[in-house]
Amino acid sequence: MKDIARQQMSIKVESMDMLNAQIQMEGKASASYLAMASWCDQRGYNQSASFMYQQAAEEREHMMKIFKFVNDCGGSALSPEIGNINHDFTSLEEVFETALSQEIEVTKSINRIVAGAKKNSDFGVENFLQWFITEQLEEEKTMRDILDLFEIMGRDGIALKLIDERIKAE
Amino acid sequence: MSPMERIHSTQYYTFFQSDKERCFYIDLGQKVVRLSFCQLLALRQRIWSINIENHFDEDINPHGLEILALCNREHLFVLNTLEVLDLKELLTGAFFLLDIAAQTPSLSPRV
Repeated sequence: MKDIARQQMSIKVESMDMLNAQIQMEGKASASYLAMASWCDQRGYNQSASFMYQQAAEEREHMMKIFKFVNDCGGSALSPEIGNINHDFTSLEEVFETALSQEIEVTKSINRIVAGAKKNSDFGVENFLQWFITEQLEEEKTMRDILDLFEIMGRDGIALKLIDERIKAE
Repeated sequence: MSPMERIHSTQYYTFFQSDKERCFYIDLGQKVVRLSFCQLLALRQRIWSINIENHFDEDINPHGLEILALCNREHLFVLNTLEVLDLKELLTGAFFLLDIAAQTPSLSPRV
């Protein structure tokens, strides 16, 4: 009997399911960053807004990378349904705290997929995700560095403006 | 229909592969459905997205039925709770035996 299914798809279906869940997560992260960008834009935190717009675009890029990988491997990538995005924040600091929490959740999710791929000997998926592991370390560091500014410079009046000026979209 | 190899059977359904046509067939009782690989993935996705708990909720799904459109709506099936579970079991076993799923506790790999 020919391995027709295996010839059509290079990854395990369990990996495909996890990657589709990750597509959903990256899509939601992108939408969430857009909500943060909007919040910052409306309150005159222009640098923070630019940073968040860029983050939204990056998350979408991540989503597309995974989306294309799944299809390139012969799987079936699913377009995500995004809903329930939070638009309410009480402060600029809360915006970045939310961003860091979101990045940590993404990191955990990537790690779970890598662990699953290893367990299933799906080494192509494991290898593909190495880039995401490095990327997530950078993303977390960026958010932590910004949150450090609140500790150093304060949380009121001019301090917020000075913090905003120090946030750079790369 | 060219000769087919039986891959896996459950209580209600049987899964076949046709080497010559490079496709799959599922005998669903009322009829035999031909599926390409991507149609097979779509069927799996459709079955996996069914929330079986809703079958036991009078308000959400009072009759415990699922309407299943297969192969880009070429076929239409109405399945009850047991048939949905059986189709899920069929696909779980078939995917494992086709060597594209890593896990299923109740089956041995094809040699």
